[in-house]
Parts: sequence; C-alpha cells; structure tokens
Amino acid sequence: MAYVMKADGLEEVAAILNALEGSAQPVASMSLYEGAGAMAETVRGEVKNIRTAPFKYASGGETRLPSPEEKAMLEAADGMGIAKFDKNGSEVGTSVGYQNSGYVATPWGKARNNARTNYMFEGTFAKPIPVIANAINSGTSFMKKQPFFRRAVQRGTPKAEEAIVRTAEALMEAIISSNGEESVNER
Amino acid sequence: MPSEYEALVSALQATGIPFAEYGWKTRPEGAYGVVSLDYEAGSCDGDGVKCDRSFSASVDLFYSLLSDRNAMVPEIESVLEEICGGSWELNSIQHETGTGLFHIEWTCQVTDEGS
Repeated sequence: MAYVMKADGLEEVAAILNALEGSAQPVASMSLYEGAGAMAETVRGEVKNIRTAPFKYASGGETRLPSPEEKAMLEAADGMGIAKFDKNGSEVGTSVGYQNSGYVATPWGKARNNARTNYMFEGTFAKPIPVIANAINSGTSFMKKQPFFRRAVQRGTPKAEEAIVRTAEALMEAIISSNGEESVNER
Repeated sequence: MPSEYEALVSALQATGIPFAEYGWKTRPEGAYGVVSLDYEAGSCDGDGVKCDRSFSASVDLFYSLLSDRNAMVPEIESVLEEICGGSWELNSIQHETGTGLFHIEWTCQVTDEGS
C-alpha cells in the first residue's frame, strides 16, 4: 500500500531549488570568495601582531625573534591572499595563504653564503616567502614560534562563515526575486 | 595556567625526552622537544561538559636520527592522547636544511577542568 505524504510550505523550497538550478556553483564560488577574503584580512591583522627584534644569528641553541625586515616581507607579500578556485564536480574549494607569494631578497643571505640555505632568484640571494611565514608560524630550532596563522584561522573562522552565509543569502534572494519578476512578466 | 597544560608538560618531561617550555637557553645534544602554550582559543564544550576557556598549545620535536623519531613519536603521541583526549593533531613535519634537523609539530587544545 502506498502512503501519500503531504507537507505545506514546501513551495518556497521548491522555488529556491528551481531558481538555483545552474546557479548553485556561481553562488557557492562568490560566497566562498567573500569568506576567503574575510579570512585573508584576519591573517593580515595577525601579521601586524608579530613581535620582532633586530636581526642577529641565533647561536648556542638560542632562538631569535623574527627581524622587522622579515615581518615587513610578510606584510608586503603580494601573493598573500586567495588561491585559484578549485572546482571539482559540485564542490568548490580554495585556500588562503602565502603559497603564491614568491621569493624575496634577504639582507643576511649573502653574508652567510651558505649554499644549502640560500636560494638564488633572479641573480640575488633570496628566500621563498612561504618558508619565512612557516618559520615564524611553527618556529624552528633557531626561531621562536609565533603561531599567527593558526590564531588567525581560529579567530577568523566565525567571520568567514558569516560572510559566506550573508553573501549566499543575498545572492539567492536576488536570483529568486529576478526569477519571480520573469514569471510575472511571462503571465 | 590551565591544569591540562601543566599535566601535559609534566607528562612530556617524564618520558625522558629532553623537553623545555618555550625554548632552550642551550640546545641539548641529540633530539629534544619544546612545549608551549600559544594562545587563548575561547570556550568549548563536549561530552556534556562546558569550559569557559580553552587554550591552544603545541609540542615540537627536533631530531636528526630516524631511530630517535621511531622511539619518541609514539611516546609523545601517547602522552597527547592521554592528556588531551581527541583534541590534538599532527600539524606539520619540516626539515631544516641549515641545521639538518627534522621538526615535527603537534597542536592540541587544553582546558581547565570543565564547569
């Protein structure tokens, strides 16, 4: 025997699903972009809180703070931001970080002239910015840890989620209202 | 200071692996560890218990020999499991080309006793 279930108030849900057909991925991408932007802003804010000290080589097992120059490199990193969107079927993903920040010349690289630790980039001694960011965030045997990125992710997640939801709701409302106008015009 | 963090430091130091809080004045010979309380992470709840404040802590192991890693990693992870329950994770594994050291970093959430 078949049972028929009836629920009231589902017309609106059906209208949203119909309206979003084909628009779901653009809505997801635009919402995610806003969320990633909020997260990137939080990371930039946390970079400002990194403690620094004038550069000196750490010796005897001591750890040092990042130099003001290293902090400035992170603040000025052009590539700090949102990675290219990855679309896989119905999923949309991105990441926020320094992975595309490239290299920066370091004032101490040439003095040390250690082939293992220096990178040559466009004819000068340089370090990849992600390596500098990681050394500050996770610490090394010679640098004090300041987990600015982890802290930013923890503090920025509610803001990012709020931005994603706000953008998605606004876009869906716009799509539904424009579809409604079209159907009224058709009548 | 959160009681779980104090318990974590004591348990790590009891393993026999040289562990210091926040860093070493003079680095010991061989493998060594650093444990630190990083920042306040806000309130949390779980298992029917709510705590007003939780903190993010991290545990770092620096080593160069595979034998050290094989002996020390399970010990550290069992301490994390015992003290932090499920709220720990392996955050990163790095290699320092300048010093030749490997660096494993775990992060965990620690709290005072729930209220």
